[in-house]
Amino acid sequence: MNLRVVGANLVVSIKSFYREKTAMFFTIMFPILLILVFGTIFMDDDKLNFNLYLQDLDQTETSAEIAQALESTGKFNITRVDPAVDAAQYAKDNKVNLVLVIPGDYEKAYTQYLQFDDLSAFATLRYIYDPSSSSVSDKMQILDMVFARMNQGLSAMPPFIRTAEVSIHTRKYRFIEFFIPGIIAMAIMTESLFGTVNVNTELRQKGIIRKLSTTPITRADWILSNILHQIILAVISTTVMLVVSYAVFDISLNINAWLPVFIVLDVFSFVGIGMVLTRIVQEAQSASAAANAIMFPMMFLSGSFFPLEMMPDFLQAFARVLPLYYINEGLRAAMVFHDNLTAFIYAAIIGAFAAIVFMLGMMVTRWEEGK
Amino acid sequence: MTEYAIEVERLTKRYGDLTAVNDISFKVRQGEVFALLGPNGAGKTTTVEIIETIRRPTSGKVHLLGMDVARDKRDIAPCIGVLPQGFSSFDRITVRETMQYYSRLFGHRKKVDIDALIALVNLEDKAKEQYATLSGGLKQRLGIAIALVNDPEIVFLDEPTTGLDPRARREVWEVLLGLKRAGKTVFLTTHYMEEAELLADTVAIISSGRIIAMGSPAHLIEDNADYLILTLQSVDEKALAIVGGMGLEPEHNDDGTIQLRVAHMDDIRKILNAMNNAGASFLGMDVRKPNLEQVFLKLTGEAPDDGVNGEKGAQ
Repeated sequence: MNLRVVGANLVVSIKSFYREKTAMFFTIMFPILLILVFGTIFMDDDKLNFNLYLQDLDQTETSAEIAQALESTGKFNITRVDPAVDAAQYAKDNKVNLVLVIPGDYEKAYTQYLQFDDLSAFATLRYIYDPSSSSVSDKMQILDMVFARMNQGLSAMPPFIRTAEVSIHTRKYRFIEFFIPGIIAMAIMTESLFGTVNVNTELRQKGIIRKLSTTPITRADWILSNILHQIILAVISTTVMLVVSYAVFDISLNINAWLPVFIVLDVFSFVGIGMVLTRIVQEAQSASAAANAIMFPMMFLSGSFFPLEMMPDFLQAFARVLPLYYINEGLRAAMVFHDNLTAFIYAAIIGAFAAIVFMLGMMVTRWEEGK
Repeated sequence: MTEYAIEVERLTKRYGDLTAVNDISFKVRQGEVFALLGPNGAGKTTTVEIIETIRRPTSGKVHLLGMDVARDKRDIAPCIGVLPQGFSSFDRITVRETMQYYSRLFGHRKKVDIDALIALVNLEDKAKEQYATLSGGLKQRLGIAIALVNDPEIVFLDEPTTGLDPRARREVWEVLLGLKRAGKTVFLTTHYMEEAELLADTVAIISSGRIIAMGSPAHLIEDNADYLILTLQSVDEKALAIVGGMGLEPEHNDDGTIQLRVAHMDDIRKILNAMNNAGASFLGMDVRKPNLEQVFLKLTGEAPDDGVNGEKGAQ
């Protein structure tokens, strides 16, 4: 190992990277764009405030109480729909995913039920809704809850089964805070994997490795400088992601020593995989195709973008064999949930994986034309 | 220190069933320009890459400055400078930065003036240009400068002018003649006869993995092509008849000239006298010795790959 040689190599790698403007832009900006796009889309989830369209066909004081009860939950911004229009047509024309319709005989049924103790009387409120809209079922659930409470009040019996919420986290976390550790892990994976595959196949195909093999640079020098290059990129890219996230979404994450630990393990794992890949797949184009084949399942199935609990059991089981899963969950344990034990366990698992795959990569990386 | 810079003994390299290099031996003296000449696929690059430590031999011994290429790779690297076949470098790195990079790889044990090397290969104007923007000839010249960056004792140039246009080729030759004058040991592979003839002290002709002839260009020509070539322009019927009557078989070229092979200067005198006496006419004549190309053709029975000197059609 020769530090002067490693340094010279690192200078060339970094210059090559920042002079390749388009590639640099996409490497740094792509994760930022993902954060901005997903952060904005799921901002609604965090504030849990729905638009509600309400058509009151009864127009009485009693029916107005429903609107008041809904408003008092603080979860709805209510828009009134003219009783004269057809609610379904209105929803279609205005791209509204739910219109709540209070029937014209609401007060009448209410009086019947309450004043004359006629327990067979009832009122049907209709949900005119668009089943293709993803947030509509949440909205209907909340409405169901509000109406259940109102029914409860009407029956004048105190509820027997009650519930209380106790969060296992010290604080309620937002989607964006869950999302950012996943994006950091994913961005570093992509950079390390493609960076290694591209640089190795390119140097081999252009014959630069042949030239280098006649100079004093060794395979170990070369691999060390590539690792350092990837770590520097990963640190820059993570810093940019965090700065943008704090500035735009005002997130609150726990930044501690686990972050650099997982960054380094992420780099080693995927540089190792990249080296093994370049050895197996010699052609540059097939090598990047193979890198894609590894990257995409990793990206979508290891819980980078959404919680694993949303996936079916067999996919959750599959996620547990993906190295990125342990980086995602380890980073979340450290940055979101303040769970040092889980972070430690996952760091140990991915550390062992990184050590094995990196050593394998070192062994199979060929420096001579050999044969 | 041994008298020989390179000693190759019974070197063989096989790839599966294919024998690329078949039991070859030769020696290169210190300060000599040695050319390995042969068509594509003859085993030139395999041979030179084994000597440069890029590839490992199947059997046989190769010593560089007394060091064994199979064992002493790390000691050999600082002593050699290599221009590999199809040399290429980092696209986004400038000429000067590339020189600095390679210079750092070798350390600064020997102080080499990078600017002087850039000047030697005539790249001063391009020092700040990125590699990707250079033309083929400039890239090769940079490759030669890089091969010199550690002030090596032996310089290896694997097909330094392949793929270059004639002007770029001459520019590279100028640089190589400079190395020769400076007394460097140079090991050159080429499939251009002209290049070997112009630059080399010793030429080894390789064909199908075997060395079939070796010596100075002059000796090779002397030993293998001891005849003269007489070319006559615009000959008439009488002239052809005279030539035929002397038992010579003229070769007709596309441009209307004829070529005759004769053994001595005396034969030429006889032909000219006979034509003069018979009143036969021709417009011009040229007498020359055969070149390495004819030697090569005689020895191998195959045409060398050639794109430039245009004599292929004349054979």
